[in-house]
Amino acid sequence: MTRENLQKAFLTLVLIIVFGLPLILRSPTYLHILVLLYLYAYLTTSWNLVGGFAGVLPLGHAAFFGIGAYTSTVLYVQYGVSPWFGMVLGGVLASITGVMIGLPTFKMRGAYFALATIAFGEGMRVMVENIDHLGPFNINGPRGLQIPPLNVGLANLMFTNKEPYYYIILVMLIAVLAVTYFISRSRLGYYLNAGGEEPEAAMSLGVNVARCKLIAMAMSSFLTALAGSFYAQFSLFIHPKSVISLDLSFEIAFIALIGGRGSIVGPVLGALLLRPVSDFSRIYFGATLPGLHLIIFGMVLILVMIYLPRGLQQPLTKAYNGLLNRLDRRSR
Amino acid sequence: MKKPIKEIGVCSAVLWVLTMALGAGSVCLAQDKVVKVGNIIPLSGPSASVGQQGKNAREMAVEEINAAGGIKSLGGAKLVMLYTDSESKPEKGVAEAERFINTEKVHVLTGCWNSAVTYPTTAVAERYGIPFIVPVSVADKITEQGFKTVFRIAAKDSWWTRDQFAFLRDMEKEFNAKLEKIAFVYENGDWGKGFAEQWKELAKKGDYKVVLDEPYPSTATDLSPIVQKIKRANPDVLLLVSNAADAILLTNTLADYRVKLKAIIGSGGGHADPSFLQAAGKNAQYLFDIVEWETDVNKPGAKEANEKFKSRYGYNLAGESVDAYLAMYVLADAMERAASLDPVKIREALATTNLGSGRGMIVGYDAVEFDKTGQNKHASLVMVQINDIGKGMERITVWPKNARRAGYQPVFPMP
Amino acid sequence: MVFILEDTINGILMGSIYGLTALGLTLIFGVLKVINFAHGSLLMVGMYVAYWAVTLSGAHPYLTLILVIPVMYLFGYYLQDIVIKPIFKAESEVREPITVIIVTTGVWYVLDNLTLLIFGPHYRTIQENPLRGKMLELGGMLISVPKLWGFSAAVLTAAAVYLFLQKTSMGRAIRATSLDREAASLMGIKQFKIYNIAFGIGTATAGIAAVTLVPFYNVFPTVGVLFDIKGFIIVVLGGLGSIGGAILGGMIIGVIESVGPQFMAATWAEGIVYGLFLLFLFVKPSGLFGVRYDW
Repeated sequence: MTRENLQKAFLTLVLIIVFGLPLILRSPTYLHILVLLYLYAYLTTSWNLVGGFAGVLPLGHAAFFGIGAYTSTVLYVQYGVSPWFGMVLGGVLASITGVMIGLPTFKMRGAYFALATIAFGEGMRVMVENIDHLGPFNINGPRGLQIPPLNVGLANLMFTNKEPYYYIILVMLIAVLAVTYFISRSRLGYYLNAGGEEPEAAMSLGVNVARCKLIAMAMSSFLTALAGSFYAQFSLFIHPKSVISLDLSFEIAFIALIGGRGSIVGPVLGALLLRPVSDFSRIYFGATLPGLHLIIFGMVLILVMIYLPRGLQQPLTKAYNGLLNRLDRRSR
Repeated sequence: MKKPIKEIGVCSAVLWVLTMALGAGSVCLAQDKVVKVGNIIPLSGPSASVGQQGKNAREMAVEEINAAGGIKSLGGAKLVMLYTDSESKPEKGVAEAERFINTEKVHVLTGCWNSAVTYPTTAVAERYGIPFIVPVSVADKITEQGFKTVFRIAAKDSWWTRDQFAFLRDMEKEFNAKLEKIAFVYENGDWGKGFAEQWKELAKKGDYKVVLDEPYPSTATDLSPIVQKIKRANPDVLLLVSNAADAILLTNTLADYRVKLKAIIGSGGGHADPSFLQAAGKNAQYLFDIVEWETDVNKPGAKEANEKFKSRYGYNLAGESVDAYLAMYVLADAMERAASLDPVKIREALATTNLGSGRGMIVGYDAVEFDKTGQNKHASLVMVQINDIGKGMERITVWPKNARRAGYQPVFPMP
Repeated sequence: MVFILEDTINGILMGSIYGLTALGLTLIFGVLKVINFAHGSLLMVGMYVAYWAVTLSGAHPYLTLILVIPVMYLFGYYLQDIVIKPIFKAESEVREPITVIIVTTGVWYVLDNLTLLIFGPHYRTIQENPLRGKMLELGGMLISVPKLWGFSAAVLTAAAVYLFLQKTSMGRAIRATSLDREAASLMGIKQFKIYNIAFGIGTATAGIAAVTLVPFYNVFPTVGVLFDIKGFIIVVLGGLGSIGGAILGGMIIGVIESVGPQFMAATWAEGIVYGLFLLFLFVKPSGLFGVRYDW
């Protein structure tokens, strides 16, 4: 087999596994954990368009997630509009917000950008917590919104069992990975990369770095908002402290950095490590010694960063390439 | 040398995940005839204090129940407690409810204190038909969602606010004082907003003039601006909803700025936290607080239960922990009558609860009985005043009058 | 009018304490070029040290500085040396290693929850201390005495750190490293030693802030988080790396927080802080005293 075929075979194998998993793993507990794992992988991949390729560290993506969650929920609960439509509309609103916030902040670099986005995210949360009604829409301030579990079905993006959610978020994840893949190979991707690493050089070559970053931001915030709507329909309850939280913005960044920023598989690898660590350490230690599971989570963050500052992606891609090479050589 | 270290890092990380994943399957130990109770409470983060109290109270109750022979109709089946940390986050609460129901196969769930966690977790329980006992989460909405499996021990917030105003009226009559101006200051969350909404209506009905209606972020680092606002609005009565950290800060700052009020009325929560009395000390004197239970309640067994709790954990039982304690006895009673581990039967037994006696009934009211929505109809509240009558600051029941501690004359209005 | 003056004074006093909590953050950023997300947790650790020192010895809270400063200095010194240094070594070619943010966040989780594990979730205040509840009456205004002490401590600490950086040879070495670490190490300055010292000093100032807070504030495991975000806003407002900017930025936040609620709900005043901060960033991204090259 040639290298390319090997790679295709490998990819097919992975796809078969992930699509077949619910047939074997029937427990809703694990499907639930997996749905959240994919959701975080999806969020981080969307974040990666800005945080990875554009070379800045946004720490306010929860704001876009919140816009998505609130748009679809308000429209669905109060006007009966299908969440699918709310999802798209939320995405559009989020990308407008993203561009508006990106215009001034992309001039900043490093720590300033990170801190400005934190302020943006937190400001958004405070705003939602202060608004009970926005025009005709009932946002319900800090108390949040519940989605009544009626009218189950695909049209309402609401199901009683986990499998449909699993497949929807899986398809979303694959789609966003594909988008990232094509962007990274497109002109936009090269420009973004160049603009992130050597903005002066890129600009002198006539690349409109600012515009590229804004496009990336618009896409990233759009995609993030879609996940917000999905999450709202999945959990059926949203409130500012859960969907627009700093914790969420941070966790996305953790996953990206642990997995490997700016690489396509990085976010998935990061989610594959961090989500189980977070879930299982809570399951095992959450009740025995209070806070122990968060100590473990913190230790994992520290240790991975010390030993793998480029993220899990680096040794694993190396191992993967090594494996491919070996198989390739053997088959010849 | 560098490389091996890196690889060790990766390997250990991968191993870690694998062991975790493999171990997950074997958590559930096969034991015959136990009643598994899943408890979702905040054990870390900002609500850790109240979560810990609830856990301790549950532990004590379950030990007593098991020591007394467990559930006799199930052949002496023991209650087995599973706890998990919600971190006050709905997302974690929901994931844990799913796990408890599907993997641990619990027979009943309890929790979650934070209403934001209780809403979505009770929805999960409802979907699977697993009974869910809510010791405390006071939002009205929790029992008004049309769920069949939710049973709440605590009074709901419309009762809390109703009694706060009834208390105020009674005190005005008893002490012949007329209070007119009223101020609302509350944490900007589900709990505070819920209370404030009701207060506004009650104030209108009661002909009080609302001079201040102020939400504040409970993460505030300085509450003197709020205190200044209270001082300038110059109310007679101040009604508060606070979490622990802000309750302490607010009480101390009110004293610092020498704000003169005729009455300060708390709403449990932060004001009832065991750390509150210690941390606010003398500044808390004469403050009123509404609670479901107080150490001086006139009920057989209450004193003993509190002594036992205090000797084990170092602080008194409080409203929140008593509800958790009682919840376990309500559960044991229901299990006894259900004589089955079938969730439908357990639910039915819970719905027909009429628990009037027994070791757990240390609350001031006569019986636990649930109405159609799953709300404990008899849940009642008492008002306490914090005062020093020779043994340091303590909480003394003053209202309703028939529950008032013998020989205590409330100080009203505050001097 | 007196009201506004009273609130402004309270805002300045409380704000200077915020500034003091952010001083270490800005110092550490100035030298190491990283945001220390664990700074709030370091403040929390300082508060526990001060709390126990006062409770066990019964001394005046400010006397515990003798203990808190060296303990916190060493804590910061070795935290940087053991936990953060390895990342710098691994990422030596990057100017602002973002991975350090993750590590400091990890440190934050570990410290907060370790404290929860050891000391429990209880809220503590020091009951018996000479500063508690003291108020100064000034023409109908009430001014908090412990905050006045905090204000003095903030100004003195900022001045001391500033002078230390300007006048001593160690200070000059720190500044040289912050300007250009390659050049500084060519001059024979040991980069990582300087990092350790800067981190130690930053942590020690968090300790001082902790001492100013314990006479009137609660101590509990997650207390640092409340000051964390505020600290970030302050340092950017003042200009990352600027000592005076941190104190001034703190005062601005303090005044908004104190005067704002008199005209609107306190929850909106919180929003105003973020709004103004963003607005300010757009106009002058380098902060009040920030240097342009630094962003």
